[in-house]
Amino acid sequence: MSGVGWKEETVLSDLIIAARNVEKTYDTGKVQVHALKGVDLLVPRGEMVAIMGPSGCGKTTLLNCLSGLDEIDSGEVLIENTVLHDLPDDDRSDYRAKRMGFVFQLYNLLPVLSSVENVEMPLLVAGVKPAQARKASMEMLDVVGLVDRAHHLPTELSGGQRQRVTIARALVSEPAIVWADEPTGDLDSETAQEIIDLMTSLNKANGQTFVIVTHSREVGESAHRIVLMRDGQIEDDGLGNGTGNQAARAS
Amino acid sequence: MEELFGISMNSIMVALSAIFLAGMAAVVVMGWRNRVMVKLGLRNIPRRRAQTVLIIVGVMLSTVIIAAAFGTGDTISFSIRKATIDSLRNIDEIMLSTRVDASDSFGSPAYVPMGRFAALEADLSGLDIIDGMTPQVAETVPAQNPRTSLSEGQMRVVGLDTSRLAGFKPLALASSSQEVSLLDLASNEVFINEKAAKELEAVAQDEVRVVLEEGPQFFTVRGIVEDGGLAGRDPTIIMPMERAQALFDRPGELNVIVVSNKGDERSGADLSKEVARELRIFFADREVVGQLKVLLAQDSVLAQLQELEKDKDRIDGDARDDLGALIGQLQRTGTSDELIALLSDPEVSGNVLDALGGEEFSDIEVEASTLFDDIGEFSVLEIKRFLLGQADEAGSFVTSFFIIMGMFSIMVGILLIFLIFVMLAASRRSEMGMARAIGAKRSHLVQMFVFEGTAYAVVSAAVGVAVGLLVSSLIIFIANRIFESVAEDFSFVRHFELRSAIVAYCLGMVITFATIAFSAFRVSRLNIVAAVRGLPSPSTATSRGWRYAVQTFLPRVKNPFRFGWRMLLGLRHFNLVGQAGALANLLRTFRSILALPFAVLALLARLVLLPLKQGWLVLIAGVFLIVMGVGRWEHTAPFSIGVSLAVIGLGLILQTLLRRTSLREDRRDRIAFSFMGVFLLVFWLLPFDALESLTGELDSNIEMFFISGISMVGAAVWTVIYNADLILRALTLATSRFGKLRPVMVTAVAYPMSAKFRTGLTLAMFGLVIFTLIVMSVLTGSFGTAIADEDTVTGEWDIDASINFNTPIEDIEEAVAANPGLAIGDFQAMGGFTGFGVDARQVGVEEQRWEGYGVRAADDAFLASTKHKLKLIADGYGETSREAFDWLRSDPTLVVVDAFVVPSRSGGGFDEEGGFKLEGFYYDDETFKAVDIEIREPRTGEIRTFTVIGVLDQLTDAFGEIGGGMIGSKTVLDEALPFALPITTYRFRVAEGVDVAQAAKTLEASFQENGMETTVLTELLQEQADAQRAFNRLLTGFMGLGLMVGIASLGVISLRAVVERRQQIGVLRAIGYRKRMVQLSFLLESSFVALLGIGIGVGLGTILSYNLVTDIQKDVASIRFTVPWLQIGIIIAIAYVFSLVTTFLPARQASEIYPAEALRYE
Ligand SMILES: Nc1ncnc2c1ncn2[C@@H]1O[C@H](COP(=O)(O)OP(=O)(O)OP(=O)(O)O)[C@@H](O)[C@H]1O
Ligand SMILES: [Mg+2]
Repeated sequence: MSGVGWKEETVLSDLIIAARNVEKTYDTGKVQVHALKGVDLLVPRGEMVAIMGPSGCGKTTLLNCLSGLDEIDSGEVLIENTVLHDLPDDDRSDYRAKRMGFVFQLYNLLPVLSSVENVEMPLLVAGVKPAQARKASMEMLDVVGLVDRAHHLPTELSGGQRQRVTIARALVSEPAIVWADEPTGDLDSETAQEIIDLMTSLNKANGQTFVIVTHSREVGESAHRIVLMRDGQIEDDGLGNGTGNQAARAS
Repeated sequence: MEELFGISMNSIMVALSAIFLAGMAAVVVMGWRNRVMVKLGLRNIPRRRAQTVLIIVGVMLSTVIIAAAFGTGDTISFSIRKATIDSLRNIDEIMLSTRVDASDSFGSPAYVPMGRFAALEADLSGLDIIDGMTPQVAETVPAQNPRTSLSEGQMRVVGLDTSRLAGFKPLALASSSQEVSLLDLASNEVFINEKAAKELEAVAQDEVRVVLEEGPQFFTVRGIVEDGGLAGRDPTIIMPMERAQALFDRPGELNVIVVSNKGDERSGADLSKEVARELRIFFADREVVGQLKVLLAQDSVLAQLQELEKDKDRIDGDARDDLGALIGQLQRTGTSDELIALLSDPEVSGNVLDALGGEEFSDIEVEASTLFDDIGEFSVLEIKRFLLGQADEAGSFVTSFFIIMGMFSIMVGILLIFLIFVMLAASRRSEMGMARAIGAKRSHLVQMFVFEGTAYAVVSAAVGVAVGLLVSSLIIFIANRIFESVAEDFSFVRHFELRSAIVAYCLGMVITFATIAFSAFRVSRLNIVAAVRGLPSPSTATSRGWRYAVQTFLPRVKNPFRFGWRMLLGLRHFNLVGQAGALANLLRTFRSILALPFAVLALLARLVLLPLKQGWLVLIAGVFLIVMGVGRWEHTAPFSIGVSLAVIGLGLILQTLLRRTSLREDRRDRIAFSFMGVFLLVFWLLPFDALESLTGELDSNIEMFFISGISMVGAAVWTVIYNADLILRALTLATSRFGKLRPVMVTAVAYPMSAKFRTGLTLAMFGLVIFTLIVMSVLTGSFGTAIADEDTVTGEWDIDASINFNTPIEDIEEAVAANPGLAIGDFQAMGGFTGFGVDARQVGVEEQRWEGYGVRAADDAFLASTKHKLKLIADGYGETSREAFDWLRSDPTLVVVDAFVVPSRSGGGFDEEGGFKLEGFYYDDETFKAVDIEIREPRTGEIRTFTVIGVLDQLTDAFGEIGGGMIGSKTVLDEALPFALPITTYRFRVAEGVDVAQAAKTLEASFQENGMETTVLTELLQEQADAQRAFNRLLTGFMGLGLMVGIASLGVISLRAVVERRQQIGVLRAIGYRKRMVQLSFLLESSFVALLGIGIGVGLGTILSYNLVTDIQKDVASIRFTVPWLQIGIIIAIAYVFSLVTTFLPARQASEIYPAEALRYE
């Protein structure tokens, strides 16, 4: 596979995500779950990384912690050389609005807004002028092939279409990083493939960084590398330190 | 309070308790059989504390209003009862002589020799239902206290017979309650009561001066005795009877007899009817009764009486029974006690005279009238029973008034209960869907909700009663503050009866319970799949049509025959199996026969529901009501409800027709519902007389306010909700400049607009409450402008001066001129009149009844200079009010009447109550033909005829306490009475530049001897306007209770939204919403709903009140449409600020939602 990938000569400044020794414990009061047990992860700009692992190993937790949606207990996360967790909540929100896009496993569209309104939401939040936002959103919907559904409510769309709208929303603000948590989880393989193709082509075209949590082999194979997790730890970071990265290297 | 809306409180209590207990019993039985559902239902209550509290607050509101209404009514009747008992003590009846002669005077009762009393006393000694009877001499005179220079124009002087006070509470000193005796008084000593002491600021040993015809007299105050009973409630001087007789030159005579019934101060009144009957029989002049009997027993008269008895519109209840009994007695021979009792009962005699209304009976009637008057030597006033009855009436009037005024709030409260349950159901959707999926029946779900709802209702109704009592205490507190300035020595004493508490509780429960049952039924009908998936329920609008109805019906008709036939077949087999089969089929036959009526009902329901849904049955019903409303009933209510139904019907038909097109469902609904909404709005917002040319004149009354309010707000909400996206678009345009706020705006509008049902209900609640408040404010504001038209009210008189009838002024102008303290030049004009009660009726109309009416018999000076405005002047009596008043001067048989006896075409509510009413023309006409009326002086029974040539403006003398009645020259009435008619009221108009208040003071001081008491009319007007305003504010506050509901509902909705949207909030946060933006989004959402509701209410309320005011203008020309913006601003601010306050907490909660958490779970 061509394009951006992890090279030995990648310098620190090219890293968009740098996580060191991240720990996270959930304390429900009754039980404590040590969900992340010292995770290290480096992702260069423009890479498409797949995070895989058995259910409950901490993938979603890692994603939330890296993207700043969740707090960490110890360790360090640098996003674009900024320590996100040191920022106040408002700045982190603004950062998300301008630099990040999210795609979740569940259809996370606002049910009361039409497709285009959902897509333009991050732009409006980031302070883009309404007319401009609308134009950009329509273009983005065109990219995902849903212009004709722009004014439909999410309930009037199929699962795959909703996920495509979600991707459009994640990408419309031209974010530096797109976080996706099982974007194809509920979809049949054909639709899933469409979504994967869409993401790889966008990654190729715009050089955006994708961090994708997935159970799906196909998704993993489309990524530049696969990070394997097990029990709150990185078992294989896809850089030759294990067996799980053959797919990435083979491509 | 004994009655409400004419139904006895005891029956109300029994009926409501029965319904309540039956409902509770049903719930308990249901619960016993289904304990799991009870557990499931109740489990939810402690889980969400905040929600439970909000629900209880919301559910209790109807009960609060009802309990507050009862509490206020109870307090009022209790207070009046208490005042009655306190002032009368043991006195139950008062007897006055009916034999008036020239020696008597205008203001005090006629005198009787003591000998007559002694004879009575002897004769009545055997009557054991009386335990006291005592004669009095009572007169009213001006009095002064020289030490304090204070005076009292109407001081009662009472002489008591010290040897006949048994059965009455003895006089007691106010300071120590120590009993005192009149026998201890020295020859010029008197007792005065507390009231007199207060007015004169007199203390023991003060010299009190009273003015008599022969000149002043001085008395020394021996002591101050407690008010009430023989000491009276008005300012009173008490002395032994002989001295009073000497004082008023009435030796050996008395003029009042008071009677105490057996029993204490309270229970005495129960015997009143019986005692009065016995006394009347006793006093009746049998000769007169005989003459009356001969007169009335004529066939033609009997026929008249029988005709009246049959006419249930004119007579009912006891009065009708009495009349029937009288007819029976007249047909018998002899004069029985029963006949005497009937003939001497004033109510019976009144009805007999009414029956003799026709022209051909006028001679008989005049004769009968005089005879009736002569029957009894004494008239017996059942004073305590009457006043206690009034107390009850006042109480139930106030209660029903508050309940009616609270109707909107109760209605809104019901909407809230409904909303709460729909929300609860929504929040448990998946839970309930699961339950259904694993086999729970629909009825189980209903039960689950009923259990939960009952638990809320039981608690909230109790809390509601308590809060309602607090509210009524507050109302009473404020009312006392208002009355402080108007009636100084009366105040309300808080009181609440257990019976009212029970009624309020049960009524609140029944309303709540019914709403809960209905909502539970509604929410249980949800679609399982949709519930499990959390999707909106698909519409069930697609009706299944005729064929389905018939198809499900036919087999049920066949069943009995089928099973019957099988049974017969089985009978052929003479074996056990065959017999058993036959038996089983017999049972089935029975069962299917029993089921048949239900099948028919179901068929009928389906057959009715279908056309209802398709609209044409609604249309037919609407058209029917329109036709009947215009043609038969001539009433606005059926007409306008008919038009509304017709519009709804057309809308539904439109919807049905649109179904055949390819339009999307939401478009179809929007077209159909917008059609209905817009047309309904237009119809209801039309000026009241807009359609008059089509419909002719229609009656209407207060219920139209409710009907129109509900219809308008409903239609507006309908329109708004179904055109939400237009609002959305408009707002989008309007907010495009807001930058960062914009996404928040978008969600804040999109969310409520997508939950149409909730938002619609909340809008309706807000809209209704604000609507009523606006209409109230505008109307009171506008009426305020009318009252502000001082000249019309006062007739341009400045000062009202009442004087004591015992010390009249011969010639006021001369007296003023002669008085050194006064300058005649200070006064532009002065004139006087005497107001008193008479019976009146119109000549030459169908149903003539003698009804009480007021007369103001004026002197020429008054007629010459009054500037009262006449609304109507009869043809031929001039163009201006002045010309008409000059006619009164030149012809003493001409009079002008007040506006309240003339009906109004628009029926402004005044013509509802009974009393004297003229027919043949309307207040809102331009002119009329003069009509004749007869006036009957009740003391002498003399009848005189007058011609009405004008109608005073409605605002004339709108002071409440003084004023009212017709105005005419006193010449004719002077002749009708055996004694001179003194002038008791003077009006003065001061000259330019003279200080009115000062002039009033000087007048009062100058005519102290005549007991003059002056009032500056503009001040009086001001005081009353202030009290009125305060009262309006109180009422507005009470009606504003409904606002609490609207606000609570926003709180409930917001709390709910936080839970429902957890995940979406997580998404928003991931997209980059700051915490503040989430919070703001919630606040904006509530603001949007609240402001929209407020907008609907303000808009519709203003237009409706504009229509109302223009309509009232026809009657009260001086009323101006005024919008009290300040008050409305305050109302809006309160509504809006509290809406934000209740959403603030949920909004905070929402903003604290942690995105990672929210996104993890469903
Ligand atoms: N809020 C929480 N409180 C307690 N434990 C939690 C919480 N969230 C996650 N966990 C636990 O942390 C561990 C990691 O969860 P996480 O959701 O990250 O797994 P995952 O790898 O994404 O699994 P899946 O593939 O099933 O989505 C799990 O054992 C989970 O039970
Ligand atoms: Mg996960």
